[in-house]
Amino acid sequence: MNKIWSFIWSFSSVLIAALLIAFLIFDQAPWPSSSRDYTEASSVQDTGAINLVSSIYLGYRAYDTLGETIVLLLGVLGTLGILQIKSNNEPTRQIQKRRTEFLKVASGKLGPIVLVFGLYVMLFGHVSPGGGFQGGVVIASGIVFLAMGTREAVYSPLVNGGFLKKLESLTFFLIVLSALLGLIVNVGFFGNIAPLVNIKPVYFIVMLNVLIGLKVGSSLGLLCLVFLWDEAT
Amino acid sequence: MNHDTFFELLFIILIFLTGLWAVIFDPNLVKKVFGLSVLNSSVVILFILEGSRLGENTPILEDGIKNVVDPLPQALMLTAIVIGVCVSAFALALSKHLYHTTGTFNIHEIRRKVHDDN
Repeated sequence: MNKIWSFIWSFSSVLIAALLIAFLIFDQAPWPSSSRDYTEASSVQDTGAINLVSSIYLGYRAYDTLGETIVLLLGVLGTLGILQIKSNNEPTRQIQKRRTEFLKVASGKLGPIVLVFGLYVMLFGHVSPGGGFQGGVVIASGIVFLAMGTREAVYSPLVNGGFLKKLESLTFFLIVLSALLGLIVNVGFFGNIAPLVNIKPVYFIVMLNVLIGLKVGSSLGLLCLVFLWDEAT
Repeated sequence: MNHDTFFELLFIILIFLTGLWAVIFDPNLVKKVFGLSVLNSSVVILFILEGSRLGENTPILEDGIKNVVDPLPQALMLTAIVIGVCVSAFALALSKHLYHTTGTFNIHEIRRKVHDDN
């Protein structure tokens, strides 16, 4: 009986939510075109990146990216902290090795290729679809491939939790440093410092893309390693 | 009502309600986390669809490309995806710890056990 009432309450609240969302979504208001027109007209001169998405999240709205990296750092810290708490009646059984030889060989061979593709997506994010976040996620999947294919003979530091933690801290420090450098040379917080040293402004975008890619890749790779097996903590 | 995107919007509402149903009705904690992830995906699809009401081309200004879609929703969703992954990882870690402490993923049994302990 209790379950039926819970079903009825849940169903009616989902129906109410559907009504509210329908009124929100099916509206007639046209999408405003001013922001599209502004970025299309002036973002190439301002930031040098012809990929408008990366010119927004690393140029005009770099604050968002900084806050997002802070959220990522907090997420990783919280997850690691919770997983390190050992409760009393936690089962101490031995984890079964379910990895077959085929999985080891295939994923171990795929790992470096995926890592190279992630580097490509990161480095060419300003001229093609891609960028730091996407490249970072591809790098994280490469790290998972390497971790699944690791054998004792071929050991990579990338599947070591301590190395990933150090890499994440270092890249976060470098992101904050590159944001503060703009204050020192008087172009503003997250200002583009590339024109002051006589290089094209797009190289600042490339540098931030690489830093964010390494940060996202190491964070998500660390999270996946922690959930795969607890040795990374 | 924009009839060009009527069925796409209906589909997005269905995805959203699927996630919401998992969050509020399913007693399994891991399925609740999956429901949150599905909710997040529906919002991402909605933003990308609404941003593509203007223009036709991808927002990469190579030679001769004009009339691009609005890049601002895409840039916002880029950060939303990564934050969604963070939230999922944190919630899964909490669920794993609850499972180790109480021995079950069922939210009703967890509530009963915590009630009994007090």
